[in-house]
Amino acid sequence: MHGRSQNSIKLLAGNSHIELCKQIADKLGIKIARVGAFQYTNQETAIAIGESVRDEDVYIIQTGCDSEKINDYVMELLLMINACKVASARRITAVIPNFPYARQDKKDKSRAPITAKLLANLLQIAGCNHIITMDLHASQIQGFFRIPVDNLYAEPIMLKYIKENFNKDDLIIVSPDAGGAKRVAGIADKLDVQFALIHKERARANEISRMVLVGDVSDKIAILIDDMADTCGTLCKAADILIENNAKQVICIITHGIFSGSAIEKINESKIDKVVCTNSLPISNHLKNCSKLEMLDISSTLAESIRRLHNGESISYLFYNNS
Amino acid sequence: MRKCKIFVGSSHSELGKLVCDRLGVEPAPCTLKKFSNGETSVQIGVSVRDEDVYIIQSGSPYINDHIMELLILISACRGGSANKITAVIPQFPYSKQSKMKKHRGAITARMLANLLIMAGADHVVSMDLHASQMQGFFTKPVDNLLGAPTLARWIRHNIEDWQNAVVVSKNPGGTKRVTALADSLKINFAMIHTDRRRTHDQLLKKSKKAKIIGDVNIVSELQTARIVQGHVVDDDYPRETTENNNIVNNNSSINGILEKGDDVLGGTYDATNSDDDEDDKPQEEKLITLVGDVKGKVAIILDDMIDKPNSFIAAAEHLRLNCGAKAVYVIGTHGLFTDHCLESLCESKCIDKIVVTNTYPITKEKCQLHQDKLVVIDVSPIFAECIRRDHFGESISVLFDSLAAIE
Repeated sequence: MHGRSQNSIKLLAGNSHIELCKQIADKLGIKIARVGAFQYTNQETAIAIGESVRDEDVYIIQTGCDSEKINDYVMELLLMINACKVASARRITAVIPNFPYARQDKKDKSRAPITAKLLANLLQIAGCNHIITMDLHASQIQGFFRIPVDNLYAEPIMLKYIKENFNKDDLIIVSPDAGGAKRVAGIADKLDVQFALIHKERARANEISRMVLVGDVSDKIAILIDDMADTCGTLCKAADILIENNAKQVICIITHGIFSGSAIEKINESKIDKVVCTNSLPISNHLKNCSKLEMLDISSTLAESIRRLHNGESISYLFYNNS
Repeated sequence: MRKCKIFVGSSHSELGKLVCDRLGVEPAPCTLKKFSNGETSVQIGVSVRDEDVYIIQSGSPYINDHIMELLILISACRGGSANKITAVIPQFPYSKQSKMKKHRGAITARMLANLLIMAGADHVVSMDLHASQMQGFFTKPVDNLLGAPTLARWIRHNIEDWQNAVVVSKNPGGTKRVTALADSLKINFAMIHTDRRRTHDQLLKKSKKAKIIGDVNIVSELQTARIVQGHVVDDDYPRETTENNNIVNNNSSINGILEKGDDVLGGTYDATNSDDDEDDKPQEEKLITLVGDVKGKVAIILDDMIDKPNSFIAAAEHLRLNCGAKAVYVIGTHGLFTDHCLESLCESKCIDKIVVTNTYPITKEKCQLHQDKLVVIDVSPIFAECIRRDHFGESISVLFDSLAAIE
């Protein structure tokens, strides 16, 4: 009747993180659309769309997780996007809290693939109109897309957590590698505390050889901040060095807790006192197996961004005006 | 071959090796592995600058992983300044999802085509695409090789009295494929139709009518039987009383959708779509009809892929028990054999041999376990010859006009 303004949010859940999707749906006060992905017996992924998405504003929640199924989830996302496009959705937004393949973002060796760029192209070819993601490994990945990308930050939630749980006089913020120094410096500035840096010499991916600490951490609670924790080798070694240098406690705050391989056992055995990470990946299983793990909820940030995007309100306002 | 590199993906390294052997080249070195978080990693160990690159990757049970691997390989070669990249995909995955089924389905095969082109493929080679129209999904040239000549040759060499055999299509959608093979062998063909809408009563009416004329099996060329639980039964088998589940399902939870799969939509069922639909609801009662005559002859059930067993078994039982076929061969290009398909087919007493090509990986154990019934034909010479001809700019269609040349 009223044409363009009458469309609504359709929230679609990929199989990677249905829990997060439910939380977002609750926060937005809507129901998850009756669209599901399943696998045929020959392992092909297929999509069933149980209700009309014609002219609707579609949001698909899918995150990169689970080492067994990460490619299945990528395929599932591409198919859902394509199915919605074919079904005449007005706009399709992929909400990818943890962007998979984000670390393969440069030609670090000759003839190495830039898979993050490939994935960006795949999403666009499938018919995606907009991307919402969180703490991209490198912000340059935004430039791989020709469609708008909203890179959300977990920083405000982390800041809130630190302020509520620690006395800032005891604190020192530590970056576990040189690449994260900028992120850590920003947080240290906002909290008005000192920061230190650990430099590592890396021989091969997922393996670290030697580490050097720059800065004084003695008698302080060291807070390690990083964008992702995968095998946790870096974090555990960093914790060793911090304790060797007389840090009182070691707390890790991470956006994406991938925890692949034996990461959880490593954390349990390590000198880390606490690992705090967001629910950008499903971590409820890990929470059961690791008493040191604590979760920060980002569903409200995602829900608010979806609401703002749908209503055409500013998203940057979310990050610069509420701290 | 100069200025040519052949990469073999991890989905079907056996076929890749055979192709390379045939061409007398080594597979180009590349490392394919996974990071601990499951992301696929590709390293190309040789310069591809200004070379013709061929990447052999087929479908496999780890379908999505291998698609990602193929896409990353293509894009890595593109980034490494390859001159021309050809994706050789013996069994094109997702080819059954090549049209919108019911309402609001994804046309996955078209999307995959777009993904391949976008990743940087300049040319695609495949075999027996499920629908040849799929060539139109690509904006780059596609060579759809034919498996039929190889299968025809096997039939001529291995089936006694093949001149009197009948090629049978197990659904109306595959008739074209069947007539093509029948024509090339100059033998007869027949067609089977399974219908889930016609009822028991209609069958009774029909058989009554037939009885008036005479014996149903001989007079009419139309032979009908009932299938219950995926097997052919007698006319007096008790009728199933359970409601069929094609009724609209108002389950609102996502899990409901996932479980029910394609049934959630209910709605109108398009008859033309049913050709491709495998009978994934074996509990439903159906009516099977053979059009044609196979009495006392060898019946060859031909399809492009052997995926799920039920329809093949039902067709074989009908041909053997009701229609008097002497022997039943099940022949297909792509032997996907999902789940326990191969086991079920081999267990069926009505099937004598199962013949497929090696476009899709079949494990050695499986081959050995079922070697009394399973025959796997090697098609690597066709792919090797296709790659050679493509590299030297020779015609590929000639390949099929004179297949005898590479026998």
